[in-house]
Amino acid sequence: MDILLQLIANGVLLGGVFALISIGLTLIFGIVRVVNFAHGELLMVGLYATWIMATQFGLHPYVAALPLAVAFFFLGALMQRAIIQPLMNADPHIQIFATVGVGTALANAALMIFSADLRSVDLPWARQATDLFGLASVSRGNLVAFAVSFVATGALIAFLNRTHLGRAIRAVAQNRYAAPLMGIDVNRIYAITFGIGAGCVGLAAAVLAPLYPAFPTVGSFFVLTAFVVVVLGGMGSLEGAVVGALIIGLVESLAGYYVAPDLKEVVYFVIFLGILIVRPAGLFGVRGNE
Amino acid sequence: MRLALSFGGLAALFALPFWLIPAIDPEGSGFWQHIFVTIFVFAAMACAWNILGGFAGQLSLGQTIFYGIGGYAGAMLNQHFGLIPWLGGIAGAAVSVAIAVAIAWPCLRLRGPFFTLSTIAFLEVIRLLAIHFKDFTGGSAGLPVPMFVGTEMRIGWAWMLFRDKENYLIIAFGLLVVCLAASWAVRNSRLGFYLVAVREREDAARAVGVNATAVKLAAFAISAGLTSLVGTFHGIYLNFIDPETMFSLPTAIQVAMFALIGGLGTVTGPIWGTLLVVPIAEAARGWLGAAANGLHGLVYGLVLVAVVLTMPKGLVGSIGPWLKRRLGGAAEADTAARIEAPEAAAPGEERPPVGEPLLEARNLTKRFGGLVATNDVSVTLREGEVLGVIGPNGAGKTTLFNLLSGFLAPSAGGVKVRLPDGSWVSPGSPHGFAAAGVARTFQIVQPFTGLSVRENIMLGAFHGTRSAVEARRIAEEVAATVGLTGLLDAEARSLTVGGAKRLEVARALAMKPRVLLLDEVMAGLNPADVQQAVELIKRVRDSGVSVIAIEHVMAAVMALSDHIVVINSGKLIAEGPPSEIARNPAVIEAYLGEEYAHAAA
Repeated sequence: MDILLQLIANGVLLGGVFALISIGLTLIFGIVRVVNFAHGELLMVGLYATWIMATQFGLHPYVAALPLAVAFFFLGALMQRAIIQPLMNADPHIQIFATVGVGTALANAALMIFSADLRSVDLPWARQATDLFGLASVSRGNLVAFAVSFVATGALIAFLNRTHLGRAIRAVAQNRYAAPLMGIDVNRIYAITFGIGAGCVGLAAAVLAPLYPAFPTVGSFFVLTAFVVVVLGGMGSLEGAVVGALIIGLVESLAGYYVAPDLKEVVYFVIFLGILIVRPAGLFGVRGNE
Repeated sequence: MRLALSFGGLAALFALPFWLIPAIDPEGSGFWQHIFVTIFVFAAMACAWNILGGFAGQLSLGQTIFYGIGGYAGAMLNQHFGLIPWLGGIAGAAVSVAIAVAIAWPCLRLRGPFFTLSTIAFLEVIRLLAIHFKDFTGGSAGLPVPMFVGTEMRIGWAWMLFRDKENYLIIAFGLLVVCLAASWAVRNSRLGFYLVAVREREDAARAVGVNATAVKLAAFAISAGLTSLVGTFHGIYLNFIDPETMFSLPTAIQVAMFALIGGLGTVTGPIWGTLLVVPIAEAARGWLGAAANGLHGLVYGLVLVAVVLTMPKGLVGSIGPWLKRRLGGAAEADTAARIEAPEAAAPGEERPPVGEPLLEARNLTKRFGGLVATNDVSVTLREGEVLGVIGPNGAGKTTLFNLLSGFLAPSAGGVKVRLPDGSWVSPGSPHGFAAAGVARTFQIVQPFTGLSVRENIMLGAFHGTRSAVEARRIAEEVAATVGLTGLLDAEARSLTVGGAKRLEVARALAMKPRVLLLDEVMAGLNPADVQQAVELIKRVRDSGVSVIAIEHVMAAVMALSDHIVVINSGKLIAEGPPSEIARNPAVIEAYLGEEYAHAAA
């Protein structure tokens, strides 16, 4: 019984990590209608950036989180303006290739600059276990990541629902042709959305740096899971991404123990394929988005 | 001429390493042989990928599934059964085709990025399974290709293993030729035309009788089989296989990337892409040495982004037309001027009499949620007849057509068609209706814009023939009938509205239908064009085709139709010969409003 509680606690916290990475991806898809295949590589860049700030300037990763998120906002907006915007009306094919190209270039640039070695931010505090109401034992870093993920998603949902800009963003998602007639600068919305999506990744990177080392292909490690989460929850749905992340976190944790450690990914990829085939709109998605 | 040029180019490509390598590398380090084998292998895989990704437009990033299966089949059958890799490769290809069909069946229902994601997911699953079942595959430790088994030395042509690297060049080049030839054959066959049609406009493709799922499945299977053959060879060439190398996502991405850089959907593009990018990356690595780990990937990524932003059609797709303009010089003249009057009816030709029912719709009902778009409509088309369908905008005429051609399934009721042998069938899909002899046009014209007018009409003609030569002949014949002969080589996107409407009719006629459904082919035409269209439809009728026409141009409907049905709010409100319909109060009311009907009465 204890082991089950422990596994569930691990799974929920892991789900928090996945959620933090996935909300940016799902937001970008929902509004800009582009699947950002370079999303994982953005995370990789963020992990390296946190590592450099921590080792070179002695900056605490949690302190670096906010500046990193802001920097990534501009990085994302820039990427949208330079690479996605010219392709907004191109084939989905071409858009996929563009983001795949960016991802490939970033991962290999990291390999050239940092080599394939693992670079870890040394923060023993985050790796220490803490007791969770006597039921399970989890690392503090994981708890922080979970809390940040929770707050960030809540803030994002509130932003989209309560502010003028948020409403404009949702208007563009609902009808990108009618929105400009209402005076919304659609291209600006795209850039901002991409920026927010990337900003979430920046935030995630800083929070995850004490837990996961940076290496050139760390992006693909996370992004495939993020795709699973986002499709499961419904492409474009923030709430769906959170629920999807929790489910995948639990599946990974439980399957790793009860099935086989090296087959846990197979289990959730099979769920992923099942969802794509049976209900491509996902749990919370809008029919027709697929 | 073009053929001679192609063979010349291939011969030159093959001779290149044998001529170049002794000159730049007299020591014989083997490095350059390796580069050329790599180029040939990747070019071959890019050609194979292009059949699916380019022609069919299905962007798979999981093609290394089949590369891996080929590799493992070659090595494992060799190890366990002493089977030579030539046979092992064929066995692997057979397995790959089977797995491709199993994977494609669910994946092909997904569109755009979702299809891509599903192929990635399958690749990951297979890679993880290959790692997990170590007793079978050797797990992540990998599997060496056996060179010595007992006292037997498995080296030489039979075993695809050589001490002399030049032999690898020959086999790699041979594989490239096989993949290129397959790609060329597909592009020039009916399958190739169908794939492009499905990629461009799936609805219009289904209207000319294409089973979209089946042709995409075929492309997937062919591509998988070829990729598997390359994998078998490459596994042996590398001497060692493991899940990370064989079922690799980065490799799958590279292959797709080379095809895109060269030109998606062009036959030679994948080769040009590989030839451009691999040497740049390898040369850069050569200059910077081992310190440049990752440099080739960086180059690939940057070139890909640059190509996507500056010439999304790739090298061949962008430079080819530019060269043609330069050399040919002939600018696209005004296409409107080149439309001719359709051939006049031969004088004295008798109109065949109206005969027995050919198509019957019984109690058709179609609901979209709460909206009843078609409400209990029954119509009968008799042989040799022109049946006019009229009704105000939004009355449900096009919905009726979609029901009559299988594009929508009725909520209730059914449609049956009489075959030439007298039996009746009730098809359930657009290609089923096409097979029963029903062709249709679309109100919103759906030309395959990237194809020429000739190729557009050929797509219809392929319904009745597999031969491209025959299809070409039919296309020319039909073009003469509708007056598009002068525009056969123009791109369909350059047509005027009138020209595009004629192309719709031509494509449907090329299917040699017995029933032709025309959806507002006269809308937006000027009076002279309307007159020509009326003549054309009469000629079609006289040639023995029965016609159902939705039309708003009243004079034309009245002149053409033998029988008219009137639809309003999804219901059939009147039917009869034109003279009766023109006086029917319910029709006048539907068109002009109640007050007018009272005033007229």
